[in-house]
Amino acid sequence: MVQIYNDYKEHADFLTVYVREAHPTDEWQMKSNVKDDVCYAQPKNLAQRVAIANDFIKRFRYPIAFGIDDIDNAAESAYSAWPERLYIIDESGRIAYRGGMGPFHYNPDEARAWLASRYGTVKHDPPAPAPALNSSDRTGAAGKGV
Amino acid sequence: MTLTLFWKWAIAVFLVVLLAAFLALCKMAGSPKDAYGMLRYALPHMHRGNLKVGDDAPDARLLALDGTDHFHIRERTGNRPLVVIFGSYT
Repeated sequence: MVQIYNDYKEHADFLTVYVREAHPTDEWQMKSNVKDDVCYAQPKNLAQRVAIANDFIKRFRYPIAFGIDDIDNAAESAYSAWPERLYIIDESGRIAYRGGMGPFHYNPDEARAWLASRYGTVKHDPPAPAPALNSSDRTGAAGKGV
Repeated sequence: MTLTLFWKWAIAVFLVVLLAAFLALCKMAGSPKDAYGMLRYALPHMHRGNLKVGDDAPDARLLALDGTDHFHIRERTGNRPLVVIFGSYT
């Protein structure tokens, strides 16, 4: 989503809404969360939500505007947004795009397509191919993705 | 006798279907523990919802990152399209 934000921030506003944790330690924790050191219990109050949200922002230097759902999960309920979901609201305040339920139907490419239909496609250069690993590359530099 | 045999088969078929469904869920979720997590914690909270394209966007009050200020989603709409990204850290 950050790439989409960077591509279209001159045309559209973006807002991230932090909702209840999907895989907290005291519920359905995933192995990947342990591996990535993203281990939090489900917040029981707003102060805990604020702390986790700030950890996220700092860790990823997340550039998109951020709001935290109330502890009664009002935004989540209004938008049926748990665990993750995308919407686009048009200038008249109506739903212009409704994404599918995450994680299985969470599809940022659909939001990008909506923005592209209005403001044009933003193309990116394909990633450079990885250098071939041959004898001259065996210096420790290969595989670092630089 | 026939009825008893029928119920024995019915129960056996039911158990086999139940086992197959659980194994399929385990495969989809990753492990029996994840299958339990999905059933216990995820499915009860996942809702398709009734919002449709063209509906008025609901409003909700949000807390800012400073933990003090509040704002409403609809305060951010009106001038340009607003892309709203719902999610969490984990």
